[in-house]
Amino acid sequence: MNMAGLIDNLSRFLGAIGGFLTPMALFHMAWATLLGIIIGALPGLTATMGIALITTLTYKLPPDLAILVLICVYVGAIYGGSRTAILINIPGTPANAATTLDGFPLAMQGLAGRAMGVATSGSVLGSFIGMFFLATIAPILGNYALKFQSFEFFWLSIFGIVISGHLTALEDQIKGWISGFLGLLVAMVGQEGIHAYERFTYGTTELLGGFALIPAMVGAFGFAEVLSVMRNPPAKRAEAPRDSVFPKASDVLQYWRTIIRSGLIGTLIGIIPGVGEDIGAWVSYAAARRKSKEREKFGKGSIEGLMAAETGNNAVVPGAIIPALTLAIPGSAPAAVLLAAMFIHGLRPGPLIMVESPQFVYQVVAMVFFATLAIFFYGVGLSKPLLKVLAIPKTRLMPIVFVLCAVGSYAITNRTFDIWVMIGFGILGYILREMKYPMAPLVLGIILGDLMDKNLRRGLVLTDGDLTPFFTRPICFVLWVITFSSILLSISPIRHALKETFSIIQTRLRRIRK
Amino acid sequence: MPRADFITGLGLILLSLYVIVESWRMPRLEHLKIHPLSAPGIVPAFIGGVLLIFGLILTLRSIKQKGYRIKITGRGLRELLAHSGNQRLLLTAILSIGYAGFLIGNLSYGLATGLYIFLFITLFEWKQETMLRQRWKGLMMAIIIAMISSVAITLVFERLFLVTLP
Repeated sequence: MNMAGLIDNLSRFLGAIGGFLTPMALFHMAWATLLGIIIGALPGLTATMGIALITTLTYKLPPDLAILVLICVYVGAIYGGSRTAILINIPGTPANAATTLDGFPLAMQGLAGRAMGVATSGSVLGSFIGMFFLATIAPILGNYALKFQSFEFFWLSIFGIVISGHLTALEDQIKGWISGFLGLLVAMVGQEGIHAYERFTYGTTELLGGFALIPAMVGAFGFAEVLSVMRNPPAKRAEAPRDSVFPKASDVLQYWRTIIRSGLIGTLIGIIPGVGEDIGAWVSYAAARRKSKEREKFGKGSIEGLMAAETGNNAVVPGAIIPALTLAIPGSAPAAVLLAAMFIHGLRPGPLIMVESPQFVYQVVAMVFFATLAIFFYGVGLSKPLLKVLAIPKTRLMPIVFVLCAVGSYAITNRTFDIWVMIGFGILGYILREMKYPMAPLVLGIILGDLMDKNLRRGLVLTDGDLTPFFTRPICFVLWVITFSSILLSISPIRHALKETFSIIQTRLRRIRK
Repeated sequence: MPRADFITGLGLILLSLYVIVESWRMPRLEHLKIHPLSAPGIVPAFIGGVLLIFGLILTLRSIKQKGYRIKITGRGLRELLAHSGNQRLLLTAILSIGYAGFLIGNLSYGLATGLYIFLFITLFEWKQETMLRQRWKGLMMAIIIAMISSVAITLVFERLFLVTLP
């Protein structure tokens, strides 16, 4: 990028910042971030569920304010989950699971306030690092994506499903892939996009347009979560920390390397389709532990470990928005709802974004910027009062959440059918989750189904059935090699054989050197 | 888990076979002179094929782990239903599906919502309290929460955010 381009982008960003400095935008920012933090802090309410439910409230808002609200909820929820992770050892959202490892031991040592301060500084800095890359990578990726043809889009969708399935079901990858392909199958229902033939509709007019994404997501992440929370015994009550929650500059300065590394890892994990914040936090945590000089403290109350987890998960947020904006492929489950909301509001994310509305990319950067400032403000100023919300019993909260699930599903097209879709996906989601099938690949599959369908057939028509371009074009080559490697490496005999081969090569190389 | 995997695997095999057969039966639209490789059944058949492979792997793997040994006994079912978590799950599902699937549309939205929230809180909290006074207090609280929530949700969605309610 040349100097003129850089100045141009900076002025667009500053223009976007200025555009949001209105009382109405600031009001929406304030309530949405606060609500996001509360949603994140309450165990059982996830960021995905929060964004899906709040999308309903944004239907009549102008598109820029609607997306601002949703991004504030997103950033707030991922940060808010750290509160419960630290205080009661229960991650508020799955993204904060790694936070419990060191956050809770710190709270047990009477350092809950300091831990919350570390989580605040980590989350803020992680968001800023991710935001920097959102501002710099998204325009480049957007321009590059203009060169993509059907072959690349087909592989991108398969790559997304396989990698998302692999990384979200590390114990049993096949379940991740099954989840993803089931999502693709769900997307096949309805009129297909080339000849308008009705697939799997059985004469039902309601199914002509396929399953709407928002009711499906509200079901899989909302109703399924309500069922899951009610099945589990009640959680412990959180007590307010006694020490200061104000972030310490010394913690940031001491672990600046960990912060930058975790920010980079988080952003990268965010860019990978359908992987998400939880994996971002775990990978950042593992990397910090490997590189740390105080490795023995990890798991016993390490500030560095906590910083890595919280920087990593919040850096995923802007990272996950990058492919959502430029390729219309979400980097995480919450980004999938955000993407759906963008389409609902008439925005057209995808490769043409930098041609049609480059300003929108910088508006999104500005939204992340404001949301990050807001979490800092709430983290420092309102951490202790916010904990009172955690005292609400789940028996009183969950029926209200379900009422919102029903409204959220209905309001998009005013069809009772969508309420049944929500119920169906809720039950399916609950069963799949109980059997350890991850939800993110399922959602990604529903989104990518249409993309894969059109591009596989278009590609085959273009080449008259010749599969060579699907494997030989440079980007296709990289994508299929990664996809197949991921599958092959998860087959244990192959993995063991490769390990043995590498160890034999290593030993021989050592002998030769000697 | 092997038993659950065995059942899921068989379910996946059946589903994928159904999808493949349905895809095969989809029209090739020859009368429209379309390219045969753009026929509507191509991609669902591909997805069905992949799911069939996964289903077979899951089933074979679970057979190896003796997942096919499934015994359904009356005692087992009774134990399953006696588990307090499962009871809570069942009650939540019945109340919620009853509200969203049947109450909404047959009663006014505010009334249906208030009734659902009231029943939900009361049925779950009644058992938790042992003192009669506490139970009555809980009942009053449930009525207040139900009324406030249904009014607030109706006002916020309908008036403030202009969303059409069911």
